[in-house]
Amino acid sequence: MSALLIGFQDVLNPATLFWVAVGVTLGYVLGALPGLGKATGVAVCIPLTFYLGPVAALGMLIGIAKGSAAGSAVSAILLNTPGEPSSAPTALDGYPLARQGKAQKALKMGLYASVIGDFVSTLILIGLAAPLARYALLIGPVEICTILLFSLTFIGALSGKSMIKGLIAGALGVFFATVGLEAETFVSRMTFGLLELEDGIALVPMAIGMLAVAEMAVQAGNVRKLDSEGARITDGATRADRVVLAAEWRRCLPVIARGTLIGSVVGILPGLGASVGSFLSYGATRKASKTPEKYGTGMIEGVAAAESADNAVVPSSLIPLFALGIPGSVIAAILIAAFILHGLTPGPLMFQQQPRLVADVYAAMLCASVILLIVGYTGQRLFAQVIKAPLRLIIPGVLLLCTVGAYMETSSVFSIYVMLFFTVIGFFARKLDFSFVTFLIGFVIGPNLELSFRQTLQLLDHKAMNLTNHPIAVVFILLTVAVVWWIGRGKKPAAPEDQAAHYLGQSKPKGRI
Amino acid sequence: MRRANVISGVILVLFGLLMLAVVIPAQIEPGPDGMMSPRLVPGMMMGVVVALSLLLVVNNIRAKGREPAEDATPPISGAELLALAKIGVIFAAAILLYLLVSPLAAGAVIVVGGLLALGERRPLVLIAMPAALLTAIWFLFYKVLGTGIV
Repeated sequence: MSALLIGFQDVLNPATLFWVAVGVTLGYVLGALPGLGKATGVAVCIPLTFYLGPVAALGMLIGIAKGSAAGSAVSAILLNTPGEPSSAPTALDGYPLARQGKAQKALKMGLYASVIGDFVSTLILIGLAAPLARYALLIGPVEICTILLFSLTFIGALSGKSMIKGLIAGALGVFFATVGLEAETFVSRMTFGLLELEDGIALVPMAIGMLAVAEMAVQAGNVRKLDSEGARITDGATRADRVVLAAEWRRCLPVIARGTLIGSVVGILPGLGASVGSFLSYGATRKASKTPEKYGTGMIEGVAAAESADNAVVPSSLIPLFALGIPGSVIAAILIAAFILHGLTPGPLMFQQQPRLVADVYAAMLCASVILLIVGYTGQRLFAQVIKAPLRLIIPGVLLLCTVGAYMETSSVFSIYVMLFFTVIGFFARKLDFSFVTFLIGFVIGPNLELSFRQTLQLLDHKAMNLTNHPIAVVFILLTVAVVWWIGRGKKPAAPEDQAAHYLGQSKPKGRI
Repeated sequence: MRRANVISGVILVLFGLLMLAVVIPAQIEPGPDGMMSPRLVPGMMMGVVVALSLLLVVNNIRAKGREPAEDATPPISGAELLALAKIGVIFAAAILLYLLVSPLAAGAVIVVGGLLALGERRPLVLIAMPAALLTAIWFLFYKVLGTGIV
C-alpha cells in the first residue's frame, strides 16, 4: 500500500496526467473507429513514447488500451458495428436502445460499466500479480518451457476457427523470432547478410504492419460498404431516455459485478481474450434474467454486462505477464516491447528489481480509469461525431502514422520494409483465418521459449525420463496434450460472430466484427 | 474457404520444405561442438509447420462436399487484393521519394496517394489534409516531444 502511495506521488503531476489523458482520449477515438483496436493503437504509439519519461510513457500506452476498450462501445451502439469484436454483444442491446432514442442512456451505461469493470480489474491485478510472482520465482527453466508451450498451444487452439491454423501461426511466430544472432553461440540465423537483421526482427514495425496496415488494406477494399453505415445519436424526448435512472442502476449493478468477475477471470487465462469475456458475461446475464426473451430488443443490462466484462479483461490480462512474463493477449505481447523499452522487464523479478516503477504503473492504471470516466463522459457527443468521418479520410492518416511509428523504431527505412513485409503476411493471415494474435505471441515468447528449451535439455541430460523429477512440467505437458485433444475434437467455444448470431437468433451484427 | 485452405496449406508445405532443405542449412552455421545446434529450434518449428499444413490440406480435401454454403465464397475479394496492391504502390512511391527527395515528400505522397486511391477527388481535401497531418506530426515531434524525425 505504501508503495502504491509513492506511485500516486509520481503520477499525480500535470505532465504525467496529461499524457495519460492523451492516451485515454486517443484510445477512445481509436476504439470508436471500427477496425482500429487497442493493439493497433498501442503498436503505432510506442515510438511516440520514446521521448517521454517511463511513467508518462507507460501511462499513455495503458491509457490507450483502456480507452480503446471503452470506446469500442460507441460504434457498437450507434452503428451496430463494434469497434472491436469484444463489443459485439454490446451492439445486441445497445443498437436497439439507440433506435428507440435512448442512445445517450446506452452510451452512459456502457461507459459506467466499462469504468467500473476496468477499475475493479486493476485492483485485482494489483492484488494478485505480486503474490503469484513469488510462486513463479520458485519454478525453473523446465517448468517455464512447458508453461510457455502450453500457453502458446492454448492460445493457438482458441484463436480463430481452426486449431491447426492457430498452431501453424504460433509455430511461424516462434520461427521468425529465431532470426538474428543466436543468444548462446552468437551464430547469425537467416539474416541473408543484412546487418539490420542481426538483432532480430523488430516487434514494433512487425506489429504495426500485421495489425494496422493490414487492417487498413482490408478496410480499403470494403470502403464503400463501410462508409454507407451512418452514425446518429438520437435524443429522446424525456430525461429518462437520456440518463441512467436509479432503478436501472439497481438492476445493473449486480450485472456489472458479475461481468467484472467473468472478465477478470477470462483475462487471467491466456488466449481467451475480451470477446470470450463479454459474450460469457452477456450470456450469463441473459440466462439469469427472468425475461431472457427481451434481450436483443434494448435491455440496458445487456450493455452493462458486455462492457463491464470487456473492460475487465484488459487489466487482468496483464496478470500472467507481470507474474510469469507470459503475454496472455496480443495487447500484453505488444506492451512487453514498451515496458522493456522504458526499463521494466515484465516477469516475476520486476517486483524485486523495480518496485517503484511497478507502483507507478499501478497508480497510472488507476488514474487512467478515472480519466476514462471524465473523458468518456465529457466527450461522448464528440466521439459520436468522429465515427461519422468517412474511411477514405481516415485510412491515409492512419497509414502516415503507421509509417512514422515504424520508422521511429530504428530511424531507418529498413523498418518500413519490415512493416510492409508483415503487412502482406497480416493481410493473408486475416483473410485466411490464420491467427495473427498467436503469431505475435509466438514471436514475443519465442526467445524465452528457445532459451528455456536449451536449459531444459541440459538439465534433463537429454533424457525424457528425467522429466519425472519435474511434476509441474509433467502437468503442463499433459494439459497441452489435453487441450489439443479436447479442441481437436471440436469442443471449442464458438467464434464471437457465431455467438452473436446465436444470441439474436437471427443475423449477426453487421460490418466489421 | 476449403479451397483456400488447401492452397494455403500447399504453399506452407512448400515454404517449410524450402526452409528445411535450403534456407536453414545455408543461412545457419551448425554451431560449436557440444552445444545445442542453432538450427534446432528453427528446424523444429518448420517441421511443425510442414506437418500441420499437410494435415490442413488432407483434412480439407477429405471434407470436400461437406462445406456449408456460406463457406463456399472466396475469403479474399478482388477489391481487397486491389486495395493491397494500391497500398503497395503508394509505399513504393513514398520510399522512392524518401530516398531521392525528402521524408516530407514521402509523407505527403502517402496521404495524397491514399486519398486518391480511395476515391477522394476534392482539391481542398487533397491539399489541406496532407498539410494538416504533416504539420501536426512536425508539431508533435519537434515542439511537444522535442525531437526530430531523422
